[in-house]
Amino acid sequence: MIRGWTGPVSVFGAVLLTVVITGVGRRLVSFVVASLPLVISILLINTFIYPDATDALATVGPFTVTGTGLTVALQAALRVIAFALAIGVFVATTDLDDLLSDLERRGLGRRAEFVIGSAIRMVPRMVERAGEIVEAQRARGLDTEGRPWRRARGLVPLAGPMIGGALNDVEERTMALEARAFSAPARRTPIRRFPDSAAQRAARWGLGLLIVALTVATVGGWLNVP
Amino acid sequence: MSAITFEGVGFVYPDGTRALRDVSFSVEPGQRVAIVGQNGSGKSTLVRQLNGLLRPTEGRVLIDDREVGRRHVAELARSVGLAFQNPDRQIFAARVRKEVEFGPRNLGLRGADLQRVVNEALVLVGLAADAETNPYDLGFSRRKLLALASILAMETPIVVLDEPTTGQDARGVDRVESIVRHLAGLGRTVIGISHDLRFVAETFERVVVMRGGGVILDGPPATVFVEANWPLLASTHLVPPFAARFAARLGISGAVTDDSVVAALAARSSG
Repeated sequence: MIRGWTGPVSVFGAVLLTVVITGVGRRLVSFVVASLPLVISILLINTFIYPDATDALATVGPFTVTGTGLTVALQAALRVIAFALAIGVFVATTDLDDLLSDLERRGLGRRAEFVIGSAIRMVPRMVERAGEIVEAQRARGLDTEGRPWRRARGLVPLAGPMIGGALNDVEERTMALEARAFSAPARRTPIRRFPDSAAQRAARWGLGLLIVALTVATVGGWLNVP
Repeated sequence: MSAITFEGVGFVYPDGTRALRDVSFSVEPGQRVAIVGQNGSGKSTLVRQLNGLLRPTEGRVLIDDREVGRRHVAELARSVGLAFQNPDRQIFAARVRKEVEFGPRNLGLRGADLQRVVNEALVLVGLAADAETNPYDLGFSRRKLLALASILAMETPIVVLDEPTTGQDARGVDRVESIVRHLAGLGRTVIGISHDLRFVAETFERVVVMRGGGVILDGPPATVFVEANWPLLASTHLVPPFAARFAARLGISGAVTDDSVVAALAARSSG
């Protein structure tokens, strides 16, 4: 059974509205581009080889485009793009330090804050390090531009310093934190407090409750979104 | 024939940052040339043009009078060996010997030839006794020498050393200095990037000073570190070597190394 367009279109519409309101459209291009391989594969697979679909629209060589497959493909693609845009809006509008500071003030443990924060902050650092390692090994004659099997031989020289360096970083960072009393039992006093108006609080709670209600209603069979 | 030629080289990173502007100079085979300047002055970007890790966005780079152009980095690695600043960005092998073998193996060396270049490189950097040691059991300064050995073993006619004395004690600096002289003695061209101007004055015969992606001074240390150039050096946050400042205070001109100052003082007292 094919589900209707209401779900994917309303989710996409809501995300698009947020993008327009926040004015971060330009910064979302990379998120859309990153989702393209998945979107393209979803479109191709569902459009041409959707199981048991018989409503053929056209035939391209050994493949048949079906109406059912095309509909499912477009709906799934819309969901993926909406998801990518939602993450993009979050990243573009939310300062990680501010978010973690506020979460800590609201009771999130320091260890949890450290794990989340360092995992996210590590990404650009790892990308930078990967670039340096590739440069260093290429300077020693490692072929990263030749045939695939030659490039595959470079996996260990590239992965070795990457993993070793990351482990070393974690160890150093842990020691540096401990040296600054990271594990001290005292509760830290938040220096910064972030503006949180009544409208914002109402919107947060309202949306949270709406999600719970919609999930319960849909799963329970009381609401059938076409 | 020049070993290296930069002709009007400019480079702009993809994010729009201009790192090099109109850099033009040549290096003769066997010359020892130091490139100095503050962080961000374009030194590392410039030397990365030599082995194709970066390609000039303006002008051209020639190695042995052949344009680097679109030649593969793996091919250029036969001509230019580049030792990076941080050894931990390249070390991956479980044994010192295996790490040093990596470069020459990539260049096709095997058997007795491979063992010869590896042994020579290990002797040169003073790690011959540690050939079977795990690299991570060595301290940072020795890992740095290991990274240097892995480039020396490639026996490239041009060797580029990016901050070779960082993390080295006085003995390590002396070791690097003797390696540079040894390489030049073999007719190999050595380019060194360094913030250690004492090391630069003692080791290199020519100094290229960079600021804002361009060359502002180029000449022998005795000329570059002369008192008249100090304001220019200060403009790129460089302080002349102590020997040069000491000599200037005593009214001795042209002395920028420890030995030359001592010799000038000896000559003055005997005269």
